[in-house]
Amino acid sequence: MAVLTIKNLAKTFNVGTPKASRVLDDISFDVRGGTFVSIVGPSGCGKSTLLNIISGVEEHTSGDISLTSDAGGPARMGYVFQDPRLLPWRSVMKNMMYVQDDRSEATVSRAKKYLDMVGLAKNADFFPGQLSGGMQQRVGIARAFAVEPDLLLMDEPFSHLDAITARGLRAQLQDIWAQSKKTVVFVTHDVVEAVELSDRIIVLQPGGRIYEDITIDLPRPRRQTDPTVATLQAEVLGRLETMKAMSRTASAVA
Amino acid sequence: MSTTMAPVKARRSTTEKDKATPAWQKRLTSDRAARVAALLSFFVFWVLMSALFARVPGPVEVVQRLADEFSRGEVFGNFGLTLYRFGVGVALAAVVGIAIGVIMGLSQLGRAFFESPVLVALSIPAIIWSFLTVMWFGFGDLSPIITTFLTSVPFVIVNVAQGVRGVSRDLRDMSTTYKVPLSRRIKDLVLPAVTGYVAAGIRFAIIIGWNGVLLAEWFGGGGGVGYRARWWYDANRFGGFAAWVVLFVGFIVLLDRFVLDRAIRRAFRWRDASA
Repeated sequence: MAVLTIKNLAKTFNVGTPKASRVLDDISFDVRGGTFVSIVGPSGCGKSTLLNIISGVEEHTSGDISLTSDAGGPARMGYVFQDPRLLPWRSVMKNMMYVQDDRSEATVSRAKKYLDMVGLAKNADFFPGQLSGGMQQRVGIARAFAVEPDLLLMDEPFSHLDAITARGLRAQLQDIWAQSKKTVVFVTHDVVEAVELSDRIIVLQPGGRIYEDITIDLPRPRRQTDPTVATLQAEVLGRLETMKAMSRTASAVA
Repeated sequence: MSTTMAPVKARRSTTEKDKATPAWQKRLTSDRAARVAALLSFFVFWVLMSALFARVPGPVEVVQRLADEFSRGEVFGNFGLTLYRFGVGVALAAVVGIAIGVIMGLSQLGRAFFESPVLVALSIPAIIWSFLTVMWFGFGDLSPIITTFLTSVPFVIVNVAQGVRGVSRDLRDMSTTYKVPLSRRIKDLVLPAVTGYVAAGIRFAIIIGWNGVLLAEWFGGGGGVGYRARWWYDANRFGGFAAWVVLFVGFIVLLDRFVLDRAIRRAFRWRDASA
């Protein structure tokens, strides 16, 4: 069953003014439950805007978007942002509980379980300021998983981290995802990262249209050192280079 | 041709510099020393003024008058009465001011509704409020309480509204995404984010509010510090008048230093936490 269905979605900023600019155009795709879908594309192609529309922070100009939960009720969403977005004046555990529906024992133990999974069980009483950037982002990831979301949105969550920390967190994310099998929509500009993590990659082109929808059929867990992963990464990168070249030619002709 | 360079003297570390500075020099250049110096300067200025002008009571006279008031049994009753009125007025201003400030900060409609009345209230001085409340409520407790409330509440509102508008957009978006209920957003996001503004607002409320309570007691009678200060003023005994003013100002300074300042530091202890 599709958790997320998007049909002919478009977004124009500053509608009806001379500054009007269309950032998403005729976007249609659906995401089935339990799959990991990445959205890649060059800067300014509307990746983050699409994620904000799915999350409800941003409104779309036209088209349809629907979210369903497995239980049939309103879908619960988790969001991992580029930066951790933690309340600096609340402890790690209180940040975990801030986004939860209730304060029951089951919810508290679930929050503790995910903190443990990201290796921060001992830091539950720390303030975010007492943690490193990577540790704060791990809290953000644990928080998102702990709400047991029907759909988990991730917006370039490792882009602000150093390469070694990002690599460790990607491996950790794969492990948590393998256990939880949540439906994930992951935005990144890093094709290598997308191939390592995803079942499917949706490529957006400048102007906010879907250029290609690629299925990644590789066994998990995947590591960048695996030659089959590396080969596929090179192939997808090649397709993106072709897309960029075509976009440049099209804009030169225009 | 070769050149020889003179050896560069190694720069001293902060630990070495700290060790090299004598203890007396550290004490003289501390914040505490600056505060003591300010108090001493004021005291010397006061003594000089009282020596130059007969109508300025000196410290000795003020202390004597205060001791007289204590021996007459006037201090505790009147001071307690003023504190009660002042405390109720400021507490009301804090509660109402935070509520209206949060509404003005969160809602465009709320801001449009409250903006003009708050601006008008800000421009009305305490003396006008004290006249009005004495006319409206007579000579009881209500006039000073309402005067304190009316003079201080606009400052709390303005500070809190400004703080709420400055709450991080990223954190608000995060709360929207996770559908965090409004009551929890206010408790865990908005109020802690505006603690500094609330503290500044309440400090203003206290500083402005005490003008209000003393003026209302001055004109409205019915006991209290303001009433007693006026009693000495009417008797043309400025030492007694100054004794009451010094007593109340001293209390406000101690309240700010030992209660408000500590409460603010406790509220901001998360800022001191760093990796």
